[in-house]
Amino acid sequence: MIEPSTSSTNGLEEPATVIAGLVAEFRTPDALKAAATKVRDAGYRLWDAHSPFPIHGMERAMGIRPTILPWLVFCAGLTGAAAALLLQWWTNTIDYPFLVSGKPFFSLPANIPIIFELMVLLSAFAAFGGVLVLNLLPEYRHPAFSVKRFARVTSDGFFISIAASDPKFDLSATRALLESAGAVAVDVCYAPAEAPRLPGVLKWGLVVAALLALIPPLWIARQRQIPSDVPRLHIIQDMDFQPRYQAQGVGRFFADRRATRPPVPHSMAVGGRQLDAHFYQGQIDGQWATTFPIPVDRETMERGRERYNIYCAPCHGLAGEGDGMTHQRAVARREPGWVQPRSLHVSNVREQPVGRLFHTITHGLNTMSGYAAQIPVADRWAIVLYVRALQRSQNAVLDDVPTALRPALLQEPTKP
Amino acid sequence: MTSQPSVELAPQQITLEGISPRILAGLRIVGAAALVIGCALGVAWPDGIPLFFRAYLTSFCYVLGMVLGSLLLVLLLHVSRAGWGVVVRRLAEVLAGHVPLMVILFLPIVLPLLWGSSSLYEWADRHAVEHDELLRHKAPYLNPVFFTIRAAGYFLVWWLVARFFLETSAEQDSTGDPRLTNRMERASGPAILLLGLTVTFASFDWLMSLDARWTSTIYGVYYYSGAFVGAVALWILLAMGLQASGRLKEVITVEHYHDLGKLLFAAVVFWAYIAFSQYLLIWYANIPEETTWYRDRQTGAWLYVSLALVVGHLVLPFFGLLSREAKRNKAILGFWAAWLLVFHWIDVSWLAMPGLKREGSPWGPIDLCLTVSLVCFYLASVLRRAVERPLVPLRDPRLAESLAFENF
Repeated sequence: MIEPSTSSTNGLEEPATVIAGLVAEFRTPDALKAAATKVRDAGYRLWDAHSPFPIHGMERAMGIRPTILPWLVFCAGLTGAAAALLLQWWTNTIDYPFLVSGKPFFSLPANIPIIFELMVLLSAFAAFGGVLVLNLLPEYRHPAFSVKRFARVTSDGFFISIAASDPKFDLSATRALLESAGAVAVDVCYAPAEAPRLPGVLKWGLVVAALLALIPPLWIARQRQIPSDVPRLHIIQDMDFQPRYQAQGVGRFFADRRATRPPVPHSMAVGGRQLDAHFYQGQIDGQWATTFPIPVDRETMERGRERYNIYCAPCHGLAGEGDGMTHQRAVARREPGWVQPRSLHVSNVREQPVGRLFHTITHGLNTMSGYAAQIPVADRWAIVLYVRALQRSQNAVLDDVPTALRPALLQEPTKP
Repeated sequence: MTSQPSVELAPQQITLEGISPRILAGLRIVGAAALVIGCALGVAWPDGIPLFFRAYLTSFCYVLGMVLGSLLLVLLLHVSRAGWGVVVRRLAEVLAGHVPLMVILFLPIVLPLLWGSSSLYEWADRHAVEHDELLRHKAPYLNPVFFTIRAAGYFLVWWLVARFFLETSAEQDSTGDPRLTNRMERASGPAILLLGLTVTFASFDWLMSLDARWTSTIYGVYYYSGAFVGAVALWILLAMGLQASGRLKEVITVEHYHDLGKLLFAAVVFWAYIAFSQYLLIWYANIPEETTWYRDRQTGAWLYVSLALVVGHLVLPFFGLLSREAKRNKAILGFWAAWLLVFHWIDVSWLAMPGLKREGSPWGPIDLCLTVSLVCFYLASVLRRAVERPLVPLRDPRLAESLAFENF
């Protein structure tokens, strides 16, 4: 089937060509559809119909089977979903277990957005790539373009092309079939005898460029692996280097060239100036205060009880016996080295001045930590007042009971 | 003026005029009977009054979703200048034009509220509001009078939008003026905005305020996306029902069903997307004031209802409707449309019921009676309207395009 190449007319050797197939033109979309039906029924397989726009029913006329593209997309989507699930499961449970807000390491709801995104991404890739591949694209030059009139396929031409490589192709018989199918013109189209090659310079140039492009990443990888006494090359900065002044250093912005700014005159520290030693330190002239700097009344007492039950009772117990929930739990669990919280009713605590109790709440004692950060000053005093009341309640004498109630108390039968 | 496409459709194909008045009367009788039985059960049942009102609200919101979802479908066909959907647009219009009916059906919700009843909404209980700081803060918004004013506003907007699009479409039937199509297309964009806003706030008011201490900004979209599923499903079933009765035989083809199936599939996926968006944030943050709502829906029988929604409202219809062949097969598409109508009802009930009914079976005969009742009233109204006009917008400039529509 090799046609003799056209002889050289201007001294240049034209490349040898072969017959690539036949291209037939039709007047209307309907004629094209009818002709496609005939070509289909004649049993050709390597052929195509070309038109400027999609024609309804063409796929039936050409006998094209339903595409497998949906299945490709479906499988790619499932792959994406499975890959995302696997990635998150492995990284979160196996490779680097990291507790996030008390959730299980593997918690499906958190993984669903990634699963969804990767599923959509791979589906889109499969759809895009699948369309290209299934349509045999990219194709740089279709042999039909060697027929001049074929250029009209993008405006108003309707064509059928049959490839010479089709097993049923026979130049005269196929031409006769196309003419009988209503073609207005049937042309032979040609393709180069040999597939066109890349120029040697371009080929080797690409190879060299690819090799050169490998050098920077390899060098960076090496630099990151070998021991070195100079700082590593930071490709990804991660905000490791930030312009900033060192404390007490030299700055250029202010006239005094100090980087650290002195406090503005008359500014006051957070919490204010604690001039009242009685109120803030529980001391009067260097001695523990024995009086309260806040009003001692029922309101303060109620406040103190509430605060005590919140902050102190967990360890010291509601009655101050040193048997709070923490202690009971530690005993139940046989915690080694557990020290029972102090009872507030032992004599050396009872004898302490109120200023000293205030100081203990503020700064802590032994294993008890200070509560200055949690409890405001006035509330600490209220707690001290309530502690005093607790101590009194556990160590009361008859004189403490109002005289009106004493007879009832004395008549109470005492248990043996 | 452009020349009209010559479309010849047999008159008996495109009207519902021959329909027996018995069907209409039957629907109304069944609806009224079911309503009476529902009321009787509500009175007789132990603690039945709050149950009755919740069940009524469920049924009301279910039917309302059909009306507003269909109205959104009409607007979407206009805003996207859809050529394919002209032959089925009138069916969506027929399903959409029932705002006055919804106003009447809303009365059993709003009248007791104005009367001072707090059977439905806790925020209407003055005593509860006084003792709850959060409710007290919300009282300027959540109070019976403002609630009623807002509801009137929503209904007014819906009535105006529905009226404009339905009347203009009917006007084109007689004048054939293609400029009417342009006018509807121009108006459809702003109308969608209006509809989206009003439905969002209506669902806040009527459904979300059942749990007055709980809020979710995505709630309105959730309700509307579910309603959209229901509306598309009903749309498909209406088209199939009319074809089964011998109408629209040559008009609606497998190509149209294919597109309706795509819409149904998209609606299902969108609903799931919104539902999961709401769940994920609340699950992740795990803040008690937010999780209570899901806790109600994860205790007792409601846990199984929630799981059933995941499977029946997403997983099964997703794979069932995924294939092109399924969407082009009337039996399969019709099955999934009916299936989703049921699951949309479960979805609405899942929104309304759990806070009240924590134990035992999620639903009872009251729910069934009221749903049957309101759906019957709605269908009677749909049929009455369907008789008035041709079932196809006969002189729409894109009718010929729609009749010849093909998918690739």
